[in-house]
Amino acid sequence: MTELPTIKPFFADKQDIVDEILGRYPEYGQRSAVMPLLWEVQRAERHVNEARIAEIATILDMHPTEVKGVMSFYSTYHEQPVGKYHLQVCATLSCSLAGADEMYDYLVDELGIVNGETDREGRFSLQKVECLGSCGTAPVLQVNHTYYECVTRSRCKHLLETMRADTLPEPWRERGGDNVGVEKAQPVKSPGAEGGNT
Amino acid sequence: MSDAVADKPQAITSRHDARYKVTLYEHVGIDNAWTLDYYLEHEGYQAAKKALTTMQPDDVVNEVKKSGLRGRGGAGFPTGVKWSFMPKPDGRQRFILCNGDESEPGSFKDRYILEDDPHQLVEGLMIAGYAMSATIGIVYIRGEYHLGYDRLVSAIKDARAAGYLGKDIFGSGFDFDIIVHRGAGAYICGEETALMNSFEGLRGNPRMKPPFPAQAGVYGRPTTINNVTSITSAVHIIKHGAEWFASMGTDDSKGTKLYQVSGCVNRPGVYEMPMGATFGELIYDFAGGPSEDAKAFIPGGSSTPLMPFTDEYLSAPMSYDGIAKKGSMLGTGGVIVIPKEKCLVNFMWNCVRFYAHESCGKCTPCREGVATWMPKMFQKLVMGRGEPGDLELIENMSNNIKGTGFCVHADAAMWPIDASIKYFRDEYEYLIANGVSKYPRTTWWKD
Amino acid sequence: MKVIVNDRELDLPPGTSAIDAVFQAGYDVPYFCSQEYMSPIGACRLCLAKVGAPRKDRATGEWILDEETGEPKVFWFPKPMATCTTAVMEGMVIDTKCQETKNAQKSMMEFTLINHPLDCPVCDKGGACELQDRAYEYGEGVSRFDFDKRHQEKHHALSPLITLDRERCIHCKRCVRYFEEIPGDEVLDFIERGGHTYIGTLDDGLPSNFTGNITDICPVGALLDATSRFRGRNWEYRHTRTTSTDDSSGSAIMVDSRTGRIERIKAARHTRINHDWIDDGTRFGHEYADAEDRLKTPLIKKDGTFQEATWEEASAFISDKLQATKNVGVAIRADATLEEAVGAAALADHLHGTYDYYPKTPAAITPSATPATLDDVATSNALFVLADVTEEVPIVDLRIKDALKGVTPPEPMAHGIPIADLRLKEHMPKKTAILSVAAPYQVDLMKYAGRTITYSAGHEAALLRALLATAKGNTADVDGLSIDQNLGIDQNLGIDHELGIDQDGLSALVKQLQDNDDAVIVYGGWVLASAEASELANQLAKVTGSKVLPLAPMANSRGLEVIETATGDVLEDASALILSNLNPARASHFVNHRKTLDLLVVHDTFMTETAELADVVLPAKTGYEKEGTVVNLEGRILPLNAVPVDSGTSEDFTGLVKALGDAMGTRLAGRSVRSARRALKETLGFDLADLPSEGMLPENLPTQHHGRPASSEKSANAVIVPTMSRPEYLSRNPRLQIAQGALALRVNPADAHKHGLTAHERVKIDVSGVTRRLVIKTDERVPAGVSLVPAIAEQPCGLARVDFASARPDPVMPVPPVQTDAGTMTAEVGD
Repeated sequence: MTELPTIKPFFADKQDIVDEILGRYPEYGQRSAVMPLLWEVQRAERHVNEARIAEIATILDMHPTEVKGVMSFYSTYHEQPVGKYHLQVCATLSCSLAGADEMYDYLVDELGIVNGETDREGRFSLQKVECLGSCGTAPVLQVNHTYYECVTRSRCKHLLETMRADTLPEPWRERGGDNVGVEKAQPVKSPGAEGGNT
Repeated sequence: MSDAVADKPQAITSRHDARYKVTLYEHVGIDNAWTLDYYLEHEGYQAAKKALTTMQPDDVVNEVKKSGLRGRGGAGFPTGVKWSFMPKPDGRQRFILCNGDESEPGSFKDRYILEDDPHQLVEGLMIAGYAMSATIGIVYIRGEYHLGYDRLVSAIKDARAAGYLGKDIFGSGFDFDIIVHRGAGAYICGEETALMNSFEGLRGNPRMKPPFPAQAGVYGRPTTINNVTSITSAVHIIKHGAEWFASMGTDDSKGTKLYQVSGCVNRPGVYEMPMGATFGELIYDFAGGPSEDAKAFIPGGSSTPLMPFTDEYLSAPMSYDGIAKKGSMLGTGGVIVIPKEKCLVNFMWNCVRFYAHESCGKCTPCREGVATWMPKMFQKLVMGRGEPGDLELIENMSNNIKGTGFCVHADAAMWPIDASIKYFRDEYEYLIANGVSKYPRTTWWKD
Repeated sequence: MKVIVNDRELDLPPGTSAIDAVFQAGYDVPYFCSQEYMSPIGACRLCLAKVGAPRKDRATGEWILDEETGEPKVFWFPKPMATCTTAVMEGMVIDTKCQETKNAQKSMMEFTLINHPLDCPVCDKGGACELQDRAYEYGEGVSRFDFDKRHQEKHHALSPLITLDRERCIHCKRCVRYFEEIPGDEVLDFIERGGHTYIGTLDDGLPSNFTGNITDICPVGALLDATSRFRGRNWEYRHTRTTSTDDSSGSAIMVDSRTGRIERIKAARHTRINHDWIDDGTRFGHEYADAEDRLKTPLIKKDGTFQEATWEEASAFISDKLQATKNVGVAIRADATLEEAVGAAALADHLHGTYDYYPKTPAAITPSATPATLDDVATSNALFVLADVTEEVPIVDLRIKDALKGVTPPEPMAHGIPIADLRLKEHMPKKTAILSVAAPYQVDLMKYAGRTITYSAGHEAALLRALLATAKGNTADVDGLSIDQNLGIDQNLGIDHELGIDQDGLSALVKQLQDNDDAVIVYGGWVLASAEASELANQLAKVTGSKVLPLAPMANSRGLEVIETATGDVLEDASALILSNLNPARASHFVNHRKTLDLLVVHDTFMTETAELADVVLPAKTGYEKEGTVVNLEGRILPLNAVPVDSGTSEDFTGLVKALGDAMGTRLAGRSVRSARRALKETLGFDLADLPSEGMLPENLPTQHHGRPASSEKSANAVIVPTMSRPEYLSRNPRLQIAQGALALRVNPADAHKHGLTAHERVKIDVSGVTRRLVIKTDERVPAGVSLVPAIAEQPCGLARVDFASARPDPVMPVPPVQTDAGTMTAEVGD
């Protein structure tokens, strides 16, 4: 089951994180911190609910409505919890030329959810997104923070299998082009699985 | 050949030219290239030191002007001229804002710099900041580039610890530091005024110009906005000199540029080439040629009108003028090769849906035209329900949307449609007349 | 600059927008997102026109000439320009009649309409809808869009007062910008983006005193006034422009009435007072005028019960009784018109009695220092506010917010206020440094103030004394309040005193007032409650070279000072009373005093506690129904125009004077508006019949003020505070009461606990001898040991003592529930 967030304030025990984020911006530009603060919540709780929006509004002396207006503008903040594995399928031009539409249909069939939905277990959620900036290695599937590139049908199948076993394979990151020529580059490990700050 | 002509060396306009060397992507793809140690072992921060300790800010601006560098984010505005728009320092904080919100379909060049060579960007920002007396650099990096963000933040931390960022760098008296700000998934935030609004914590709607960012930018302070590649180019311009940069390219398009190839080619990826090289060279000589029969290609990212995949167009030099002469634009240099068997109307529907999804919703023609009506028209056609008059309606709508929007997003959404109708009208008409596509293939996914 | 619009040439100042050039030239373009008092944003694109301008040769600096005509060549801009965001240039040419412009207008209108629902037959905006009008004028007439329109929520209750239909929204952003730019309460914003964008809020109920203005500026029927929903068609309404009597701002209102009923109140434009805005109390507080239990005929008490009578019968009865009475007191409420006051004074005089009005401040409201206008406030660079302005006179809050923007009010052009003032931008930084706010508890305006002073209640005089001493250069030892002996010290106040500011702060504030010759000191009811404090405020202004703006308690408090009144207290001293719109019977001592009266005549709109005790009750007109004149807090004389309301035989006080005069066989001044104006012509020096609709601001108004000493409350534990909504009528304005909450006794949570009170509990409680019916509200911003009680005419701003022991449950007597889009809601009868 998807965990419901507790009522305890999110930032109550994270003052150092709040201070660090607010400290990035000049004193007259504190409102800029609304996006990184939203991200902290999104990352930890897989969504940003109204209580959290109100907290962020209080920290920045904004109205909750303004925070909601900013949050809802972007595709990566979610009102409802996304799954443990949030699958973002790039569906634009080059990826669609490489079969992204078929990959999306495959995922819909396999997972039983469509764009914008999370499965009952809370394990998988699916989102069709726009160009992820990896057109040379299409089709691309972003799982949480990691790009899985050149995702062929067999790789996709393999990916689902490993995720169903609660792990993730090393990301496939071929480069081509001016990087290492035709040979595939070694898979590269990301410094923090959940993405770091500073 | 007369002496006069022989005196002036021929400009480098092909990667086959032996004089050409890859500079922007020299370290991309190499393990650990993103570390400070590696960077220092490879002449890291030497250009910045040269600028900060031996040149005046105006000298740096002039060097960049002389180099002929034009903005690599798509608009192609001369970078040195843009830098010279900054007003004289008046006590207010000044910003150099790097646009790392690379979201144009077909573009993926900035990402590898952020991931594999972030110090190059840091050094470029230092040089740009120094040139414009801006003590704070901001990198707005698109939210989806998590690895790039981590690497960049790590690089900045290391640079700061080593004294390359902070106070009195190299003893020059110049202070400089960098804020990294992540986007959250909105293509429109790549538009420079929407970028500023998004950075300020507002919704990403574009702003009116005037006032221009140099007069009233981030938080109302003087700001210059440049693409990642434009800024990293500055490193090499300072390192090797404006003449070196200007020795590459055509009369109107100087220097070395990162071109991207995707779609049905054998070796997709980013290829650094001198400007003026032809599409043919890029696609055939380096990207391995098309992997199947191709009928069209997009020259510079989805906003640029597509062109037929014929010798006439493939022989065009990849320069601002060269492509303009063929009726399209250079944009970001993101080439997408379209296979013959891909229904072009379906392809355009995908493109239309992209612009619809990314519209900010501020102005009427974009919100109602680009984001509502146009996708519905294309859906109608692709679903086989097109009627006579629909194509004319689309053309008329396109005319009504171009030039009437608040920002260029509306225009950018219409240019590809116009080009597709111009060159592939037959596919539209076939689809409308028959209810099925001329090219019905839907299987593209490799096993 | 020379600007040519079609065939007309104009000379316009630089910075003028192209759209204003078009209108100035007498031409027209459609627009939806521009609003005269807000930033132009160029979002709707309806105002597109073909624009061109000549260019100078870079090398020579000369105009590039057209080879054929020899005139500067017009270079047309490559695409049509949004005229609202285009500044005029020298020689600019604007063509609003060419095919290119017409095409742009038609296509933009087509796009605007594709998702707009065909709701006209059921939409309240029909007939007054900008989209209807402009589509008819500039649209093609037929749409080519034959897909499903976007579907969204159609009657979303943003608050009990405002309904939102999201489908009708055309995304002009006027409402969002309004909240950010005018009151500064950003409670509305766009949600999502692109074609899915809609208007929404997370601030439940839209907490702001100025929400209703969005229903005026919304160009379509997306944002609607819930009090008038489905009540009539716009073309059926009679529109009467008049002046609001709900507070002393003199705000201009447009009252829409139909078949003798007030259906809706909108803001009317007044370029000097309220621009295009009114507060929610003024806008939504009209339902009481049509209340079921409104008095419609005179009543005479016979054998303990009231019998209906005619005015003649009632007047004869009164006249009879008055023969035997020695000492008649005539008392009116301070929102009565000048004409009514003339009648009351004349009546009292004829009866050899006394006349007065309530509430009346100890010191004159008319200041001795130089008075400020609202424009002075809006252009000031140093504001010191000693009040809760947002509740007391809300429009002053908006003019203060104008000052924080630092943009002077626009000068009207030939076509009116400029449509697109290019000096205004979204999210302009607020100059909070210019504003200092002082109050005995945290008030909303403090969020915008660079300096806030929370002083102990009742210490207005001490604070002003300290400031004055600083201004004069005397050292002021603030901590122990042992100040220069010459100035004296308050005593017996019983509340722990603290001034909430140290000497450095005092000096900084004083310096700011001294350094700016446009400084304004705004002071409200707590200062006016003390003659000493009022005097000190004026002295401080004189010493620092500032102007003053006293927040007069009621609509005509300032104006009533021109007519001489009694000294002493009419309510105490007279042996027979004729009261108009006053309800002193809530005070227990008056109930006893009543027994000693020979006669009690009550002139009121409803059967109040005092009316219950009367011998004769006469039905009174509401402020909407009066013809007359009031003087606002600036000293500006403003007209009231009567709205046709079916209120039986209700009369204002001049009608009472006529009827009584007839019965007594005499013709009194003030027996009619006309006769009153004849008398006033002498006093004021001009004829009020000639008053223009925006009124006039004379140099000096004669003042004949006799202050009523303030009731000195021993051991006060409460502050009487102003409220935006009129307390007398709140319980009969059900939607407003649901939105604002019933009249509340606000206490600190610790105090509530101490006195055994729970939040939301309804109580009858004694406050300085007056029985108040209030709901308990706990609020952390209320200082410990102090409660806040809302002011009424009989208990104006000042100090009071709440007798907590007297609290007893007050059973709820609900009025019929009201239907809102959020479901059925119930208001409660209260104070």
